[in-house]
Amino acid sequence: MADSPIMSSYAYAIMLLLPLSAAMVIFQSNPYQALIMRGILGAIAALVYAMLGGADVALTEALVGTMLAITLYVVAVRSSLVMRLGVLEGEGAKNNLQWQPMLDYLRAMLKRYQLRLELVPYADDQALHQALAAKEVHGICLMDRPEPNAEEVAPHILVRVRRLAEIFATELPEAIAEAKLYRDDDLAPIPHTPTLMEEH
Amino acid sequence: MTLVLIAMIGALLIPMVEALQDEDIWQRMLAFASISTKTSVIILVIAVLQDDWMIGVVGVLILSVGNAALMLLAQIIKRVNDVMDG
Repeated sequence: MADSPIMSSYAYAIMLLLPLSAAMVIFQSNPYQALIMRGILGAIAALVYAMLGGADVALTEALVGTMLAITLYVVAVRSSLVMRLGVLEGEGAKNNLQWQPMLDYLRAMLKRYQLRLELVPYADDQALHQALAAKEVHGICLMDRPEPNAEEVAPHILVRVRRLAEIFATELPEAIAEAKLYRDDDLAPIPHTPTLMEEH
Repeated sequence: MTLVLIAMIGALLIPMVEALQDEDIWQRMLAFASISTKTSVIILVIAVLQDDWMIGVVGVLILSVGNAALMLLAQIIKRVNDVMDG
C-alpha cells in the first residue's frame, strides 16, 4: 500500500515525525517530561504502523507501549526518585526561622538531581534514630533545642546513603544545615544524645 | 484528499513544537493530548481513504483508549506535584 504513488506523498512526511519525536525523548533530562515525550512518540508510532497496514501492531503500540508502559514507569519513577527525610513532629512550628529556608534549599538542591523531598514525621528523637537504623528513611533531620540565651545552631542532617552524603557535603552550606554520613558503627545502642552534639 | 492529510500533518507539528519549547509539564500534557487525538483522527482519515475497516476500528480504539491513558498519567503527575509543593 505504501508504495502506491498517492500514498507516498504524505507517508514520508508522517514517517519523518518519528525520528523527530524520538529525538525529543532522548534530549529530555527530566524523567516525567521524558515519559510524556514517550507518549507522543507512541502516538506517532501507532499512526505510522496503522498507515503502513499493521493495524494489530498499531493497537499493541497504543495499548501496551504507550498506555501501560508509561503508567508503570511513572509509578516506578515516583517511588524511586525520592529522598525520604525523617523529621520531628511539629518541628516546623517551633523553629520557623531556620526550618523553611532549609527545606526550600534542600528541595532546590535535590531537584537538580531529579529527586524530590518527602518528609516523614516521627514522634521523638529515639523514633527518628530507629527509623534510620531500620532503613525506613534515607536521612533524618535533627534540630538542637537551643538554650534560651544560646545562639541558634544550624540543624543536623544524618544521611544513610553514601551518594546523598557526597552531594550534601559538596553543595550544602554549613550555615543552612550540617550533613553527615550515618555509619553502621554509630548503630550502637540507640543513642540518648546524638554523637553529633559533642562537637559543640 | 491528500491535501487534507498534508494539512493535518502540518497541524500535528504545532503541538510538537509546543511540547519541545514549553518547560511546564502541564503544557506538555496538553500537547500530548492534542497529538494523540490528532494522530487517531489521521488514522481514521487514512482508513476512510484506503477503505480499510480494520485500520478504522484500530483508529477508534486508539482514540478512546488514548484519553484513558492521559487521565491515568495526569492523576499520577498531579499527586507527585502535590507532594512536592506540600
